[in-house]
Amino acid sequence: MSGRSSAGPRNAQDRLRRLLVMLPWLMEAGEVPLADVAERFGMTEAQVTKDLELVAMCGLPPYVDEMIDVFVDDGLVFVGVPRLFTRPLALSAPEGFALLAAARLAMELPGADPDGPLARGLAKLTAALGEAGIETGDDSTTGVAVDLHRPEWTDALIDAVASGSEVMVDYFSPSRDEVSQRRMVPRHVFTDAGNWYLLADDERSGQRRTFRIDRMERVETTGLAHPLDPNVQAPDAFFSDVDLPRATIRLLPRAQWIIDRYPIDSVEPVLVRRRPASSGAVDVTLPIASTRWFDRLLVRLGPDAEVLAPSGAARGGVELAQRILANYD
Amino acid sequence: MADRVERLTNLLAVLLETRVPLPLSSIADAMVGQYPDEEGPRRQAFERDKLALREIGVPIEMEVRVGDEYAGQTMYRIDRAAYELAELDLAPDEMRALQIAVATVRTDSQVGTDAMLKIGGVAGVSDRPAVSAVLPDRPELPIIRSAVAARAPVTFTYRGDVRTVEPWGVLLRGGFWYLVGHDRLRDAKRTFRVDRIEGKLAVGDGRSFERPADFDPRTAFPADPKQIGHATDDSVEATVQISALRAAAAERELGAERVIERHGDGSIDVSVPATNLDAFRSWVIGLVDHAVVIGPPEVREYVVEWLRGASSPSVAGADSAASR
Repeated sequence: MSGRSSAGPRNAQDRLRRLLVMLPWLMEAGEVPLADVAERFGMTEAQVTKDLELVAMCGLPPYVDEMIDVFVDDGLVFVGVPRLFTRPLALSAPEGFALLAAARLAMELPGADPDGPLARGLAKLTAALGEAGIETGDDSTTGVAVDLHRPEWTDALIDAVASGSEVMVDYFSPSRDEVSQRRMVPRHVFTDAGNWYLLADDERSGQRRTFRIDRMERVETTGLAHPLDPNVQAPDAFFSDVDLPRATIRLLPRAQWIIDRYPIDSVEPVLVRRRPASSGAVDVTLPIASTRWFDRLLVRLGPDAEVLAPSGAARGGVELAQRILANYD
Repeated sequence: MADRVERLTNLLAVLLETRVPLPLSSIADAMVGQYPDEEGPRRQAFERDKLALREIGVPIEMEVRVGDEYAGQTMYRIDRAAYELAELDLAPDEMRALQIAVATVRTDSQVGTDAMLKIGGVAGVSDRPAVSAVLPDRPELPIIRSAVAARAPVTFTYRGDVRTVEPWGVLLRGGFWYLVGHDRLRDAKRTFRVDRIEGKLAVGDGRSFERPADFDPRTAFPADPKQIGHATDDSVEATVQISALRAAAAERELGAERVIERHGDGSIDVSVPATNLDAFRSWVIGLVDHAVVIGPPEVREYVVEWLRGASSPSVAGADSAASR
């Protein structure tokens, strides 16, 4: 689908898809440097020339009596397009969804102006993608909504990123079960899979690290400012859990809410003589993101869950329950 | 033989230009020499092209003719109004804002960038915002959104059951996409996680239901599980002591007005809704040994019993083991 990659073979569908966007744009633009066309559409100049020369041969009297005129000369492209291709192809369902979802999500990000250009652009997009001929009243969501709940400090950290301000953070580390003070320079704030993260230059480790914002107990600027880093990128594949160990647990219906809450590899109904068990139990396999999290999950599920594999995986939960119970003596 | 792009472009041109639907024979006549003469291979090549055009989003209309010289034949055309991008009339700052939105939101696919090219934006945006978000991508979502817009029911398998749902909207919350709608079989509002839908979605006829006028997916299910009460008005408030280490975080989550006592060692007592015992228990255990339920006695006893069950491995899961 990509079309970004300028190397490698391109199939006919992708080439046509691009052309149907390129032709109306060229028509509108008049004369365009070939290099600009190539850059805009993520193609090489040779590919652009080849595809444009090809469509110049299209056009079929008597059904289509206008030819597509193409001149590529001195690194400049000029295209005259019959009225057939003067407008781009309508947005496909995936394209429409991608734009709506991106705009809705961006509207929920800190700093979004509810009356700003994005909101106005989104309203026009919603109207254009709207519900053909269906009376929608004042519904403006077109059925796509985004709800990003963000922890305290998020907005302050975004300001710190923009100004390069150093901050002092009281950070709770669940793996050590302690709060530590860390000095850091915030570089980027992002949200992924329901959590908010800060990418920051961490003084203690001397490295750029990712911190969970909801684990920050306190954030204060130190008054020091650092140069901005223009090359910051949020980590690409932040959650790659392929390497995590797996556990299989049997869940009674009361515990099955976790299927909708956490990443789960598979869900298999428990069978008794080839029919679903009357208990309604299912076996799920899931990644153990951390043993602390997993132990806690087992205690939360209590008697509604049973660890089937790996052996010994249930022990941590039992010990944790005993530790909590000690508080009640 | 002509380059496939050329043939596809010509086919597109013929179908766009024609005022009346055309049978394959006329299409092939118009595109002299580009389709095989023999009936079978010609049909095969045409079907392949038709599929290719459909896959890039070209709406090809088909009808089977009755009662004239073409009776029984399938006729084809493209409705230009459906083919062409609607005029969005975006102002330059609006276009730019949309572009930044697409750049800010990271997905696995290029679809958003492609869409920006279509509506006339540029592909790359140079200024990196200080904040970004990862948008989970699911192939079901565009289909569901279209079904919401068309008021068409969707049918799919979910946890082994076949469901037919009148889709009211999709919601991204907590990193997951949810479909919210009316489950016809259960005759009730239901929420489904989109990435748990098994296999393909089937879309029914449009305009076959009405969405509640005041529907907003964001309020379709409660944000705070502790607030999911049972159908009763007696609300139970529990007192929980939170250790100094987690006190600040708990106070931030619950609000200062829920702190009922501050102890000298930095720990605090908070008042928490416990009407829904399951949700309350889950929240307390999430704080592990940093939270102790002080009262009321029946709530404290309930949590203690639960922990006793979880701390003896022979009991844990014994019920489900019986179903083996």
